[in-house]
Amino acid sequence: MIHEYTHLARLLDEAACDGRAIPQLQENLTLDQAYEVQALALARRIERGEQVSGLKMGFTSRAKMVQMGIETMIFGRITDAMAVEEGGASPHARYVHPRVEPEIAFRLGRPLSGRITHFDAMAAVEWIAPAIEIIDSRYENFKFSLADVVADNSSASGYVICPAHRPDMDISNLGMVLSVDGVAREIGSSAAILGNPWRSLVAAAAFAERYGFVLRAGDIVMAGGATAAVAVDAGARVKLETQGLSEIAFSFS
Amino acid sequence: MDQMIEQLAGELRAAESTRMPIEPLAGRLPVRDIAHAYAVQSANTRASLVAGRRLVGRKIGLTSAAVQRQLGVDQPDYGMLFADMEVPDGDVIAPGALIQPKVEAEIAFIMADGLDHPDPSSAEVLDAIGWVVPALEIVDSRVANWKISIHDTIADNASSGRFVLGGPARLAAELDLRLCGMVLERNGDPTSFGAGIACLGHPLHALRWLAGVMARAGHPLAAGDIVLSGALGPMVAANPGDQFSARIGGLGSVSVRFGKE
Repeated sequence: MIHEYTHLARLLDEAACDGRAIPQLQENLTLDQAYEVQALALARRIERGEQVSGLKMGFTSRAKMVQMGIETMIFGRITDAMAVEEGGASPHARYVHPRVEPEIAFRLGRPLSGRITHFDAMAAVEWIAPAIEIIDSRYENFKFSLADVVADNSSASGYVICPAHRPDMDISNLGMVLSVDGVAREIGSSAAILGNPWRSLVAAAAFAERYGFVLRAGDIVMAGGATAAVAVDAGARVKLETQGLSEIAFSFS
Repeated sequence: MDQMIEQLAGELRAAESTRMPIEPLAGRLPVRDIAHAYAVQSANTRASLVAGRRLVGRKIGLTSAAVQRQLGVDQPDYGMLFADMEVPDGDVIAPGALIQPKVEAEIAFIMADGLDHPDPSSAEVLDAIGWVVPALEIVDSRVANWKISIHDTIADNASSGRFVLGGPARLAAELDLRLCGMVLERNGDPTSFGAGIACLGHPLHALRWLAGVMARAGHPLAAGDIVLSGALGPMVAANPGDQFSARIGGLGSVSVRFGKE
């Protein structure tokens, strides 16, 4: 079985490296087995010299649950190689069929893990930022089971964050507008993220303990999409406006 | 022609008072155009005023890109708000009062001044606003199963039902009406999300459109008028016993409950 996980991790990692779609997995993995595949694929990235930069939460909003037909919160790990510079460009060819979604991100000033309160979460956060996540399933047609998507690092592919804000502001109901080439494509509120994005950070800390890692000082936690994700073509310019926070943008080259 | 308009208006009035919805009526308009649909609405506005109802404002509908696409139209519409349609914040709507109610969260403007120019500037519109408050609109259709075209909804007073004004009342200058977030909870469960931009790109655009249309129609907005500017997110169907509350970022909150037999 160990051998099989290694094989699946390699398959998914290579698909991500090549920006190439693969068929859905034939194995009926349990969720824990899928997270093992995810961890093995992450180990391959680390071997190549990538550094873990934090964690992304998935399926934290009803819109995303409805869009993908999945009703369980999940996570993936992000690395420095996935960061896209704010105002910069990311090559579209690097991805299979990328989608973008509006998020809120937290940057930790202190480590977090386990069962924590909202006070613990707020005390550990150094910065809050509006963020665009680039998600990209390595599966054909973006079709997957819960275990498939978890094994595929929860579709983590890229993220744009910057600049940041102090965490002492109310982020429970910020209007968010995601535009592509100047046209508003998704309109929503940060309230769609579990009712309040801070809950997503509390859930992330619980995931960390459950799956045997720690959210470290300096790590970024992406709280999850506030709206459905939007498919984007090469050349598209993506912009996120968030009530009371900075505007961020990037392009697909 | 006038006879047919009076006939359709009468059927809508009867449907409202008996809570017995009718079939779509667009096909029976003398000419299936917007002007004839508004003629039916006006006939009922006159009947309401004769019956002693007091006109206190307007509602703007069809303000979201999604709803316009759904109905195949590229313009908003408007309806009349009467004093007896207002429900106090936090209060209960009597069971059976409406046919097939749905709830949407909006920004309401309370006018400090009238706007009688047929093409007011956005500066004039902004200047004329007295207060801004969060609001719930409870829309209802006298047409069975909400099978409406734009003509049906216009004739049917823009599918209006009840409205609730929340608080606190604020000055427009303090607010980011374009990016303010909106969350509508049904029985404590966050169900509908949106932002100011969902209403015609900016709730002020909707108000400016209405002010021009009303001035051109000879019934300009007046000081004290309430204007419900249009939904900030998808509407949610209401069942007996449901409690709805909405929060609009930077504005405040508003709630209502549907009574149970």
